[in-house]
Amino acid sequence: MGKLVVIDGGLFTTVQDAGRCGFRKYGVPVSGVMDNSAFELVNRLVGNSQDTPVLEMTLKGGKYRFESDSVIALTGANMNPTINGKSVELNSSLEIKAGDILEFEYASRGCRCYLGIRGTWKIEKILGSCSTYIEGNFGGIEGRSLQKGDQLHWKEIQADFQSYTLSQKEIPYYSSKLTVEFISGPEWNWLSKKEQVEFLSTEFTISSESNRMGIRLNSDFQIEEKKREMVSSGVIPGIIQLPPNGSPIILMKDGQTIGGYPRIGKVLDIHLNRLAQVPPNGTIRFKKSD
Amino acid sequence: MESGSLQLNGISWSVFRLGEKAWLLQPKVSERVLEHIHSTSDLLEQSRIDGLQDIITAYDSITLIYDTQFKYDPDIISDISSSTEQHLSTEKNIFEIKVCYELGMDWSEVEVKTGLSKEEVISIHSTQNYTLAMMGFMPGFIFLDGLDRKIAVPRKETPRIKVPSGSVGIGGNQTGMYSLESPGGWQIIGRTTKSFFDVKKTPPTKLKAGDKIRFNRISKDEFDKLVVKNG
Repeated sequence: MGKLVVIDGGLFTTVQDAGRCGFRKYGVPVSGVMDNSAFELVNRLVGNSQDTPVLEMTLKGGKYRFESDSVIALTGANMNPTINGKSVELNSSLEIKAGDILEFEYASRGCRCYLGIRGTWKIEKILGSCSTYIEGNFGGIEGRSLQKGDQLHWKEIQADFQSYTLSQKEIPYYSSKLTVEFISGPEWNWLSKKEQVEFLSTEFTISSESNRMGIRLNSDFQIEEKKREMVSSGVIPGIIQLPPNGSPIILMKDGQTIGGYPRIGKVLDIHLNRLAQVPPNGTIRFKKSD
Repeated sequence: MESGSLQLNGISWSVFRLGEKAWLLQPKVSERVLEHIHSTSDLLEQSRIDGLQDIITAYDSITLIYDTQFKYDPDIISDISSSTEQHLSTEKNIFEIKVCYELGMDWSEVEVKTGLSKEEVISIHSTQNYTLAMMGFMPGFIFLDGLDRKIAVPRKETPRIKVPSGSVGIGGNQTGMYSLESPGGWQIIGRTTKSFFDVKKTPPTKLKAGDKIRFNRISKDEFDKLVVKNG
């Protein structure tokens, strides 16, 4: 049995997998990794099946002690990882000895770093998924972010394993200035032509109040007229909600299932991965894709 | 933007695109909207459509979420059902939920805003039959349709950070229940001991949109006994 002990959880670290599907009719959000592309890469690097959970570290990772020899990998944000004080590479399989200490700093590029560990993780599935959903207090480890003293266990995979490193072209470049494409939403035409043009030419700043539920954006963009009231209706990750104050919210993986703000668009899934890597105070622009 | 329309379950629906793999359907009817929504949701669920991962039922819409990347094609949804017969189910489960109104936290505000006494509000609230309109925005949050307008009360100006699980509240023209402890702005008028939502069970609740709900008043003593009994 493999084992890891949390010495310091970091700023906000949770267990996530591909997410929880089929329960949105009960109000249960999909949850799961914010950056699906980094998730797929990390499990590939350690030879795990694609639905194996990972640790998702936000802005600053923690400090972890391995109590068994293990194969791990790190993808996503660069949090300047070290093993026993020595720098290690991202995007590469890494061999760990029992007693090794893996430590992270603040992200110097990107926002979320993923730790994959080769093996079958021992995490109780809630509604078919290991993903932590903080607002519901369930999933992952007791429905919360990792704390000092928490332990992770996994069953080792016996098959031979060949370490490898991703090629340069497979590694995404994380910019803190991003243009995201969206498909117009049901209420896009609630905006006047002038408002639409303005929305598309505005540079939005990512607020530090952003989280796994939604990325909140600030700017001087304003809606001119009072819009009609909307009846609450279905929403999904990627939906751009526009509250009356003109500050859009892009719903993310822990976003609610039903919302009452106009849905002016839906960010393309492939761009949501990049968006998940833009840190607070990074900027984004919107481009209409249809 | 409306992407088209289709015939489904005997009526016409507007179709809106919601990104790469989700669609929103809105019935083009002005009466019995909820009944059309609920019976069509049931129909869609029973059809076991290939790749349909999630259905979100709301007051005036149904959202369909698929698990694969589709090339957008309105014909795909038109194929959902060839049925032209209108199907409105009349037999629905009726759930009785025991509520201790003594555990309400906002009685003074509710009395002022309705102009009615606590006893009058309880008597109105506990004699109505409600329809479970939808679940969401949070897990197991239950929106009930059918509140008597006399006891409608606007939401609290400042939402509570923590509303206890099982709380029964009034928010505008709606009444509803918080299954899990969560933040919330509804006026809390009571609490139920019944655990009707458990994420450790699949499905997490027996309730579903379209069900009928009735509230039965219980005393604080009965509530406490039930708490002990249910552990």
